Amino acid sequence: MNHTDRSEGGPRPTAASPSTERRQTIVFDAVSVVREGRTVLDGLSLTLTERRIGIVGRNGSGKSTLLKSLIGLVAPTEGTIIVDGRDSITDARAIRAVTGFLFQNPDNQIVFPIVAEDLAFGLKNHGFDRAQTAARVDAALDRLDIRALGRRRIHELSGGEKQLVALAGVLALGPKTVLFDEPTSQLDLHNRNRFRAVLAAMPEQAVVVAHDLELLDDFDRVLVIDAGRIVADDRPSRALALYRERSA
Amino acid sequence: MIGGIGADGASPLHRLPAGSKLAGLAVIATALFFVDVPAVLAIAAVIGGAAMLSTGRAPARLARDLALPGLAVVLVGLADVLLVDAATALVAVLRLAALLFFAQAVTLTTSTGELADTLERALVPFDRLGLLDAPRVALTLTLAIRFVPLIGAEIAAIREAQAVRGLAGHPVALAVPLIVRILVRAEEIADAIDARGFPPPRGPGILADRAAPSPAVPSEDLPHDHP
Amino acid sequence: MTTRDIGLVALFAAVIVALGAVPAFPLAVLPVPITLQSLGVMLAGLVLGPKRGAAAPLVVIALVAIGLPVLAGGRGGLVVFAGPTAGFLIGWVPAAFVAGLLAMRLDRDGTPALVRALSAVRLNALTRPLARGGTGTVSRLLGLIAAALIGGVVVDYAFGIVWLAFAAKIGLAKAFYGSLAFIPGDIVKAVIAALVTLKVGDAYRLDRR
Repeated sequence: MNHTDRSEGGPRPTAASPSTERRQTIVFDAVSVVREGRTVLDGLSLTLTERRIGIVGRNGSGKSTLLKSLIGLVAPTEGTIIVDGRDSITDARAIRAVTGFLFQNPDNQIVFPIVAEDLAFGLKNHGFDRAQTAARVDAALDRLDIRALGRRRIHELSGGEKQLVALAGVLALGPKTVLFDEPTSQLDLHNRNRFRAVLAAMPEQAVVVAHDLELLDDFDRVLVIDAGRIVADDRPSRALALYRERSA
Repeated sequence: MIGGIGADGASPLHRLPAGSKLAGLAVIATALFFVDVPAVLAIAAVIGGAAMLSTGRAPARLARDLALPGLAVVLVGLADVLLVDAATALVAVLRLAALLFFAQAVTLTTSTGELADTLERALVPFDRLGLLDAPRVALTLTLAIRFVPLIGAEIAAIREAQAVRGLAGHPVALAVPLIVRILVRAEEIADAIDARGFPPPRGPGILADRAAPSPAVPSEDLPHDHP
Repeated sequence: MTTRDIGLVALFAAVIVALGAVPAFPLAVLPVPITLQSLGVMLAGLVLGPKRGAAAPLVVIALVAIGLPVLAGGRGGLVVFAGPTAGFLIGWVPAAFVAGLLAMRLDRDGTPALVRALSAVRLNALTRPLARGGTGTVSRLLGLIAAALIGGVVVDYAFGIVWLAFAAKIGLAKAFYGSLAFIPGDIVKAVIAALVTLKVGDAYRLDRR
C-alpha cells in the first residue's frame, strides 16, 4: 500500500503533536429522524463551529441520536448533515477517519482482548501500515499516561482505565473532532475528575452529551434538547440555568 | 479465564510452521483411519507419544491435559470389549490414542496467535471466491474471545441477583435477562465498531478513493439500522 | 453480514463458551451431569435464526481449533477433534441451523387444530404460567420446543452417533444405545431454550435470519 496517498489535502497532525488547530464545521439542515414511528429529531437546523460544544436534555430527548447521526450511524429521515463539506451518509468513512466517537460504556467500544491490539484496530481500519500503527499506539498511550496498560488484558482493567483505553483508541487516529456520549456517567468521582482534566487538555474539538452539567461549565456553547427540538442554544451559564429550571 | 494452552518453548516442533503441522496432522489422522493392523497403530501411538514428549512439557502436566479425552478413549475401549471383542477394542484404543498424542503435540507447540493467523490465511481463498469475508470472520472470533469474560461476569451478576429473589440456579431466570442484555449490547457494539471505521479498506486503491469528491459507498458503510 | 450480525454471532459464541463454566445443575433422576453449552447452541438457533444461529457454534469450534480451552471442563485444542465424541460438537452447527429454520416456521400462533387438541390436554406445571397468554402462546411454545428438539437433539445426536460409530467402530446401534443416557437432559434443555426464547421475544422483537 502506498501511504503517501494519505498526505493529500495537507499534512495530518499525529496524536503526539497536538498543537495544530483542529475543528470542523458541522451543519444540520432541516434534519428529522423518525424511528419506529417516533420522531426522535424534529427539523433540526444548526451550524456548529465552536471548539467545545455541550448537549443536554432529559433521557430520550434525542441527544444520542444527534451525536450518532453526525458520523452516519443514524441516517436522517429528512434533511442532510454536512461535516466539513462531507455528507454524513455518502461520505461516512471519510468523516469517521477524522471524527472519533467515545461511547457511554467502554466495554462495548473495546473490541480486542489486549489494550494495544484494540488501539491498533481503528488504525488498521483506516489503512495505516504496521509501523505507523505501532508508533501511533505508543503515542496515544503516552498522551493519556497509560503506557503501562499496553499489554494488559481488557477484562482486568477498572472502569476508569477502560474509559481511558477507549479514548486512546479514538485519539490514536488523530481526529479533528471527538464526540462524547455521556463520558462520565459510569465513573466514580476520582475518575470523573481525571477525565475532566483530560478533556480540558485536549486540543481537539469536542461535542459532549452529558448529564454531568459541571463538565460543561467552561464550554463555548451549550444546546438544550427536548423532544427532538433545540429549546435553548447559548453560553453554558444561561443554557444550563434554563435546563435546570425546566428539569425542576 | 481464556488463554492459549501451550506454545512457549524451542523444540523442533515449535519451530515448524503452523500450516505444515496442521497439514501433517490431517494426513496422519486420515491415514490412521484406514489402518486396522494393531502393530502399525501401536508404532504410530509410540511416535505420537514421543512427539508429545519432545515438546518439553512435563509428563505430569501431559497426563492432566489428556485426562478427560483419555477417559473417553478408555470408555470406548470398554464398550468395544463388552459389545464386540478385545481385538476391535485394541485397534480402536490404539488409533484414538495415537491421534490424541499427535493432536496434543501440535497444540502444545503452536501459539493461539499462529493458529489464528493460519486460520485467517486458510480463509483467503474463500474470501477471493466471495464465499466469506476474512476481516469479518477474524473480527467475529476476536470479539467472541473479548466477550467471554464479560459474559461470564454478567452470568455471575444475574445469578447473584436471582439468588436474592430465591431463583438461584433456575436456568430460565438466568437465560432470559442474559439474552435480552446481549441483544441490546450487540447494537451498541455494532455502532462502536462502525464508528471506528470498520471494515478496513480492501486493496491499495482505497486511500486514493477517499480523496475523490464523491466515492461510491459500499453497502456495509451504511448504518446497520438504515431501512 | 452487517456489523450487528457480527456482534450477535460473537456474543452468542461467547455465551456458549461462558455457559461451559456455569456449574451444571444436576437432575436427581439423571445419572449424568448437565452442562449448559448445548442450551447456548439451541438458544443461538431459536433466537438468531438459521444462518447467524449456526455461525455462533461455528465460531466456538474455530476457537477450539486454535487451541483455546472453551469447552466445558476447560477442553480445547485439536485433541478434541481426535476424540470419539467430536461428532456431538461438530453437530452443533447443523443443530442450531435446523432449530433456527424450524423456529422461523413454527414460532407463530399455530394451526387451530393443533392448538385445540393441545389446549384440551391438561396443562402441566411447566406450561401453566403461559396459559394466561392464551392458546397462541401455548402453540408458539410447542413450536419452539419442537424446533429445539429436532435441531438440538435429533440433528446433533445424528451427527454424534454416526461419528461415534465410525470413530470407535462399534456400529450405529451400539453408538445409539450408548448415547441414550444423555438424551433426557437434552430434552429438558430444549424445553428451557423454548421457554427462554418465548420470554425474550416478549421483551425484544426477534428478527430471525
